[in-house]
Amino acid sequence: MARILMKGNEAIAEAAIRAGAEGYFCYPITPQSEVAEYLAKRMPEVGGVFLQGESEVAVGNMLFGAASTGKRVFTTSSSPGISLMQEAISYIAGAHLPVVFVNIMRAGPGLGGILPAQSDYFQSVKGGGHGDYRLLVLAPSTVQEAVDLMMLAFDLADKYLNPVMVIGDGLIGQMMEAVEFPDSDPKQNRVNLEERKWAATGAKGRDPVIIKSLFLDPLELEENSLLMDKKYEQMKKEEVRYELYKVSAKNELLVVSYGTVARICQTVIDELESEGVSVGLFRPITLFPFPEKEIYREAKKKNIKTVLTVEMSTGQMVEDVERAIIGAKPVKFFGRTGGIVPNPEEIQGKVLELIGSMKKRSTSSRKRK
Amino acid sequence: MAAKFLDKIEIPSDRFEMRLSGSGGQGMIFASVVLSKAIGMVGSKKVVQSQSYGPEARGGASKADVVVSDNEIFYPKAMNLDLLLAMTQEALDKYYPDLKKGGTLIIDSTLIDDVPTDDYYALEFTRIAREEVGHIMVANVVALGAIVAITDFVSKERLVEVVLEHAPRGTEDKNRKAVEIGFNEALKLKK
Repeated sequence: MARILMKGNEAIAEAAIRAGAEGYFCYPITPQSEVAEYLAKRMPEVGGVFLQGESEVAVGNMLFGAASTGKRVFTTSSSPGISLMQEAISYIAGAHLPVVFVNIMRAGPGLGGILPAQSDYFQSVKGGGHGDYRLLVLAPSTVQEAVDLMMLAFDLADKYLNPVMVIGDGLIGQMMEAVEFPDSDPKQNRVNLEERKWAATGAKGRDPVIIKSLFLDPLELEENSLLMDKKYEQMKKEEVRYELYKVSAKNELLVVSYGTVARICQTVIDELESEGVSVGLFRPITLFPFPEKEIYREAKKKNIKTVLTVEMSTGQMVEDVERAIIGAKPVKFFGRTGGIVPNPEEIQGKVLELIGSMKKRSTSSRKRK
Repeated sequence: MAAKFLDKIEIPSDRFEMRLSGSGGQGMIFASVVLSKAIGMVGSKKVVQSQSYGPEARGGASKADVVVSDNEIFYPKAMNLDLLLAMTQEALDKYYPDLKKGGTLIIDSTLIDDVPTDDYYALEFTRIAREEVGHIMVANVVALGAIVAITDFVSKERLVEVVLEHAPRGTEDKNRKAVEIGFNEALKLKK
């Protein structure tokens, strides 16, 4: 199919249609309302359901009900709206249902602002709701990747019968880039309900299906949580995704960054390369499962003296990076928040400051010898 | 006020940043989408378009950025402008500091009298739209014609094609004429 120019939000909407989504429930919020605008027109064209709820709380529970029917359903929202859905997310996870959530993050906490941020990392990765559940979390850094990961998100939600969270920041939602969609009939990707024995499709000729997260018998509840845990262990084995940029044995510093910020770091790395400074980028694509072993493998390389995590937050992923590296190298952090997108110069300044202090340290240690 | 006649501008292959600015309602976002499509959906150039949203985008100065490159574009926003289109004095005052040294400045001289440099293209986009095309709404399309003539990114025909894809039915003739005049007037400014 030909390249088309699309806003991230519209591309996410179209990708869900191509993935065979049949139900979209939403409540408008900046900076992702274009998804709803697009789907209000597009969903009826493919015979799907578009429903604007009375609140995000309602939307979360509509998804719980709709997913129970076995069809592919999803929502998109932004930070405060996703907070309101946490109760339903916990129930959906506990009931083993596949739902795709998209969070086009804006700056928090509270009502915060409407400009881009990555400050919902903890909420997405560590679980904003209650109970022993995890979300599979995907983080695109381009509009094309948002399309690809949306299609993957529906497949992974089905594979694990677990909610999947796609997180992008306001910039991913708002900017326009060229995208290509796979040539597929949206209807072809729709699920075959006959194969979904777990779905509440009616009890004619079979025992009723009960979809619930309530288990008053602690042994049953423990069994349910252990079953969930097994899925998360399988995700850790099978679903880790990441990308390396200019990673080599010459790197003096390794940057770890995701989403839009990762591409800003790519600009920085190119600029530094032209000045003779070798820096590599590790970009996690799955934030849960987190690419722990892979980051450790890159960070422990001999030439790398420091690992720098760059985020649009006051430092959330940095904790997972520290955990992955288990003290093998110092982990530093640079971030802007409140809706400010860091510019390449300030990140470059931080990298050079760290490399400069590393050089000073190694010179002074030579002197001591 | 006298605008200089300029040589054909140099387009670096790795990154070329354009900002279209004016006031809300002048169609700067529309123009940026048309320009991005015209350049980025055929051939090998990559484009990223971004714009302000929320209160920043309401009233006052409005802007949309288009970054063009032969390579993958990482940093998606414009930082050092290679080209600035300013349709109002307010937009010029606000964004001129972001224009890189030697960058190309294009102004609507119908609405701007105070330009902080001697090195710019001046065309009366708004007057041309109102008097020569017959509708003030197409001032942005006249400006697009000029940008395409000055940058040579795409042909005039390609621009017309994309403008017409987006223009409301019944406005085809005015839009075609707007591109034509903008393009020709800008060519006259070239040496």
